[in-house]
Amino acid sequence: MEFNSRPSMFSGLLAIGRLARRPVLVAQALLPVRVSRFSGGGCCTRSFQKRTGKSACATCFFFLLFCGSMLAAQTSTFTDEVGRKVQIPREVNRVVSLAPNLTEIVFALRDGDHLAGDTDYCDFPAEAVRKPHVGGPVNPNLEEIVSLKPDLVLATKSINRRETVDALDRIGVPVYVTDPHSVEEMIASVEHLGSALGAEKEGALLAEDLRARLADLDRRLSGAAPRRVLFVVWTDPLISVGRDTFIADALRRAGGRSVVDTKAEWPHVSLEEIVRLQPQVLVFASAHAGDTQRDIDALRTRPGWENLAAMQHGNVVVISDAINRPAPRMVDAIERLARALHPEVFASRVAPSGAGFSLRGLVLARTKTHRLKPAPPVEEACACAR
Amino acid sequence: MRPLTIKRLLWTCGGLAMLLLACVLLALKLGAVPVSVTDLVVDLGRIAIGRANELPTEYRLIVFDLRLPRILLGILVGAALSVAGASFQALLRNPLADPYVLGVSSGAALGSILALIIAPGFALITPLGAFIGAIATIAGVYFLGRREGQLDSSTLLLGGIISASFFSAIIMFLMTTLTGRDLRGMVFWLMGDLSTPVSAGMQWILTVGVVAGIGAIYSTSADLNLLLTGEREATHLGVDVTRVKLVVYVSASLLTALAVSASGAIGYVGLLVPHAVRLIFGSDYRLLIPASALCGAIAIVLADTLARTIVPPTELPVGAMTAMAGAPVFIYLLRRGLR
Repeated sequence: MEFNSRPSMFSGLLAIGRLARRPVLVAQALLPVRVSRFSGGGCCTRSFQKRTGKSACATCFFFLLFCGSMLAAQTSTFTDEVGRKVQIPREVNRVVSLAPNLTEIVFALRDGDHLAGDTDYCDFPAEAVRKPHVGGPVNPNLEEIVSLKPDLVLATKSINRRETVDALDRIGVPVYVTDPHSVEEMIASVEHLGSALGAEKEGALLAEDLRARLADLDRRLSGAAPRRVLFVVWTDPLISVGRDTFIADALRRAGGRSVVDTKAEWPHVSLEEIVRLQPQVLVFASAHAGDTQRDIDALRTRPGWENLAAMQHGNVVVISDAINRPAPRMVDAIERLARALHPEVFASRVAPSGAGFSLRGLVLARTKTHRLKPAPPVEEACACAR
Repeated sequence: MRPLTIKRLLWTCGGLAMLLLACVLLALKLGAVPVSVTDLVVDLGRIAIGRANELPTEYRLIVFDLRLPRILLGILVGAALSVAGASFQALLRNPLADPYVLGVSSGAALGSILALIIAPGFALITPLGAFIGAIATIAGVYFLGRREGQLDSSTLLLGGIISASFFSAIIMFLMTTLTGRDLRGMVFWLMGDLSTPVSAGMQWILTVGVVAGIGAIYSTSADLNLLLTGEREATHLGVDVTRVKLVVYVSASLLTALAVSASGAIGYVGLLVPHAVRLIFGSDYRLLIPASALCGAIAIVLADTLARTIVPPTELPVGAMTAMAGAPVFIYLLRRGLR
């Protein structure tokens, strides 16, 4: 990691210089023929000299500012997960997060005061909802982001648009972009963001804890045959997950295998194909388990769905939507899913503590018909509040 | 309608230009950081004399580096789309013609998707791909629309509609099969979106292209008036119909291609604005073209200001605003015109 002063600021100041000169340039672009015809070019030359003098002054001023900023704010150069070079101040106090998973990571690494703003969809932890919002992740309001005076903006490639990142780049706001495709890469993101946010130790500790919990899970599940699972992202039309997504990876770590095996990330799959494949368990992810339960009840009588053995036997798991977000809470969801998929493995043992991070809105199918057989033990102790 | 005089032309355009200026000031004023109009005028003056560095950083970034370029982009796009719409309505002698009627927006969308697939890493790839797609579509439809060496309006229209649906089908196919690609932005782009700032080079290309395109169309405005009475009649009155059609076709298509590649497909402006201008100021193309350009700019600036501020901090796509606000205004004008 190399340290240097703030070229982003410098280029920003130069940009004002350019903006300031623009009207003159416009006039020159429109006028040259006429000027040379009526005044032999003299007028043009004079105005050009004046302009050079002014811009020399401006350059001096910018240079002084540049020197000043060199003393005041030190930055470090990071390479983010999509390979961009980012200049991040060494002291990051105001972060704007452009995706719910990044908001969760910021809260896990540092206290909430460091988050200056987040998106309309950031709903965890509860404090995130009360933060100033900058709009949705796909169409954030750039003006709103700048008005929050961020030291650093966080974005994630699979949710945010490149145009947003490019636009912030252009006006000199540093943006760190994450790009996790697996659970391990999510944990690596936590470490990367830890160092970018000046919370290296917290990031390393959290990552170590998450890895230990996953290793523990791996050990427990080593003997169990993986369940054949259909992960339902959406029901109308039916959308599931491809093999290269972090959700597919989460399923594998929870002792499941997606019956859908395709390179596309969020494939539309036909119900016929699912009836042919006959998954052992249907997994739904939801923040509102009650609504999802009603949806599942409605699905059970529909053609196609009623022909699924998993549906008939009530092998349906509703898991927290934390599994949809590459953030530390995902590991909680993986542990929960593992218990739901392999109750026999966990039946005789003590529940793990779920240390370090909280669990909320995580509900297993409660109605009897929907419970996996044999029924998982009730483990309320696991649902510790933050 | 009274005959068009130079005086009336200048008064109308001057009035509309003042209205546009007022809209620009309003648009600059509203947003995440509210600004007073007096401050704005003073600060604009400061920037004009090269003392922008006296302004606070965030304020300058928001109002002059984000908001102002966006408004200027809106002006160019609005003017381009409205003039293109007015031209296509005369060229095809069809009141339902709009800038996208010849499939330009679908061609541009397909071009930018293909460009994203071929070279996803390159920053300017979307506008470039869109422009190439639009130009290719225009050329293709032009050859489809030629019959016995003449540009036939109804064949042209059919060719445009068919290529539009053909390209849309290919877009749907690509969007469904290539889910792994970074195509999320496309949805916004297809709805028309001014929130993404364009690069400085693109701003210059756009400015020069739009001014040139509108100028070329304006130079044929007297001929367009005659062309509206019918091609044969226009020929008898001494209009070089083939040349006029070619100039208008190429210029209007160029305007549409530029607008689409900068901001995506913003609907309704190109259809509604020329009709509204016709209902208010009459259908003389010598007034209709400049008035459409100014009114189109006003419409987009107002629609984008609404899109930015109606549900803060969320931004709506400007295309949704133009459709939502445009249709009722149009119906009102139409009813008023009928009475």
